[in-house]
Amino acid sequence: MKRRKVLRYLALAGVLSLLASSLLSGCGQQPAAQKPTGKTITVGIIDSYTGPPSAYTQDALDGFQLAINEVAKQGGPTIKFIKRDDEFKVDKAQSWAKELVMQQKVDVLAGTINSGGTLAVSQYAKENKIPFFDWGGMSDKITGANGHRYVFSMLPNTAMIGKAGAVQMSKLPYTKYWLAGSDYEYGHSVVANLWSNLQKLKPDVQKVGETWWKVGEPDFTPYIASIRAAKPDAVIVGTGGADMVPFMKALQNTGLAKDIPVWIHTATDAGTLKPLGDNAPVGVLGTNAYFYYYPDTPANKAFDQAFSAAYNRHPTAFALFGYMTGKFLAAAVDKAGTDKEKIIDAMEGMTVDSPIGPMTMRKEDHLIQMPMFYGKTGKDASGKVVATDINTLPADQVMPNVDDVLKLRSK
Amino acid sequence: MNSAALASQLLIGLSRGMLYFVVAAGLTLVFGVLRVINFAHGSLYMLGAFFSFTFATVLAQGQAGFWLALLLAPLAVALISLLIERGLLRFIYQREHLMQMLLTYSLVLIFGDLVKLIWGSQYQSLSLPGILSGSFTLGGVAIPWYNLFLLVMGPLVALGLWLFLDRTRLGKICRATATDREMVDILGVNSTWVFAAVFALGGWLAGLGGALMAPVVNISLGMDANIIIYAFLIVVVGGLGNIWGALISSLIIGVGEAMGALFMPDWAIVLPYVITGILLILRPSGLLKSVW
Repeated sequence: MKRRKVLRYLALAGVLSLLASSLLSGCGQQPAAQKPTGKTITVGIIDSYTGPPSAYTQDALDGFQLAINEVAKQGGPTIKFIKRDDEFKVDKAQSWAKELVMQQKVDVLAGTINSGGTLAVSQYAKENKIPFFDWGGMSDKITGANGHRYVFSMLPNTAMIGKAGAVQMSKLPYTKYWLAGSDYEYGHSVVANLWSNLQKLKPDVQKVGETWWKVGEPDFTPYIASIRAAKPDAVIVGTGGADMVPFMKALQNTGLAKDIPVWIHTATDAGTLKPLGDNAPVGVLGTNAYFYYYPDTPANKAFDQAFSAAYNRHPTAFALFGYMTGKFLAAAVDKAGTDKEKIIDAMEGMTVDSPIGPMTMRKEDHLIQMPMFYGKTGKDASGKVVATDINTLPADQVMPNVDDVLKLRSK
Repeated sequence: MNSAALASQLLIGLSRGMLYFVVAAGLTLVFGVLRVINFAHGSLYMLGAFFSFTFATVLAQGQAGFWLALLLAPLAVALISLLIERGLLRFIYQREHLMQMLLTYSLVLIFGDLVKLIWGSQYQSLSLPGILSGSFTLGGVAIPWYNLFLLVMGPLVALGLWLFLDRTRLGKICRATATDREMVDILGVNSTWVFAAVFALGGWLAGLGGALMAPVVNISLGMDANIIIYAFLIVVVGGLGNIWGALISSLIIGVGEAMGALFMPDWAIVLPYVITGILLILRPSGLLKSVW
């Protein structure tokens, strides 16, 4: 008897809570109606907000949010966004793209840090003629062999990284190289690009061997010990996202970087060094797209201050990519309205001021023209590990040749 | 290739194997005694790492935090395992294996979402205590202190398990249950509490594995899936439910991977699977006697 009563109350509570939640969510949807004045565009964001990549994707999202807030304050177009978590899975990225376009009726798409996901979303964007802003995937295929009218790369791809890395290494006196990295698209792509460029710049370099480990490798020690046993002059490592921080820890614990110079893209990035704290290895070489403390210009300082004030941390390279995506999109909508084809026409060849100088969207292949930096990890005056000996490579020195890119596409 | 490099690589491989053993031992123990395929074992490992992060950062600063976490995190996971066994698992021992797999798999999803709720989807990072960071040189080859520490912890766990299984009454009942459960019941032993104790011990081992790995990996969602594959490989190769088989096979796979990285780096990534394949062809029922 008693039990039945309890059950009845439970059922009643369940029904009530269902009713309440449906009412509440219904209320929430109403005020989202369109504003009558000004241009409004909706962006569907697909990115990996679960697991290790979230350290980078959250930065990109916050940078984007900062940009659209600034644009709105200055009376520019209203940019709204809906975000979806692809959990670093290619099939999820693709199905979210469909959902965002067909159900949520977004005007443009943006994301995603998984290069495989980027390529899948890009293919969908091409088939359905939706502009897609890549602010996370770095594979050179995105605007290279698989490039098309509807995809834009808002960050340096592996062709640019490889070229910049090759310039950095060609200035150093090493000839015997070991190539290593995480066994996935980005890892192979960045190492292959650097190696082919380095061979052009310095024909006497030779490869001693290669090591590839699986993504999410729990213990790098055996790989590092075997590289050390081969005694190369220097090591080129292609790793990022998930493996970056543990690999840097392993470099510190094994002391490899002290004996043999190691090059890794983003090793000097604030996003990599912050979680390492005092355990960050010193002397690791690397390229990067952005530092909040370099160049020491008013524009860069202003961006650092605005981002720090909003999110209580310094901006990283991915924060800049997200920020510039917002700025480019706003400028394009401002100029061309909300028509998708007109947005693309406006984007092509457009130049927008960034915290590190003007950036241009290259007309021919939709790859952003931005400078790259290289340096190595070291301690600043207060003992904190940061990037030191920073050099700047202007965009025209790191961009892949347009004719080469277009040749790849025609194949 | 000099002998020092070979020796140090062997040492590194053994330490890697020891870590696999700590995690796989818990899985195979539960397998052997409870006859439950615990898919959630990887989740318990992940919980161990997250608890370790929280204990190390909240309870104490610096050095003491790591040691305190190493002590407390596995205990916390053992407690959760006890709750799982008493609250869920004990109702389905009589059911078919498919039901058990469904239950433990659903736990994987539940724990994944719980971790996301509590710690968020961003990864966490923990530093090694000063005494264990850095490396020492052996014949010109640097070996991290932490690998040596793992090399000590592994045998300690194995020794502890041996003492428990061989020298205690509960351990003897465990072995008897693994061999012939009905006979144990007939003899009037209350096997339900044996099951609870064994499942908690299995959870403790998973938690210990997680706490040991916490300072060298990204503490994040997804680390459960990474380890569970290895743990299953090791358990199957070693002989289902046989702890010593798990010890041998984890050492073989650990050393095999390390040697692979040294001699054929291009192939190192597939080596554990190749080793597993060969061992299973040679001994289809596992290296040592399977209890199943």
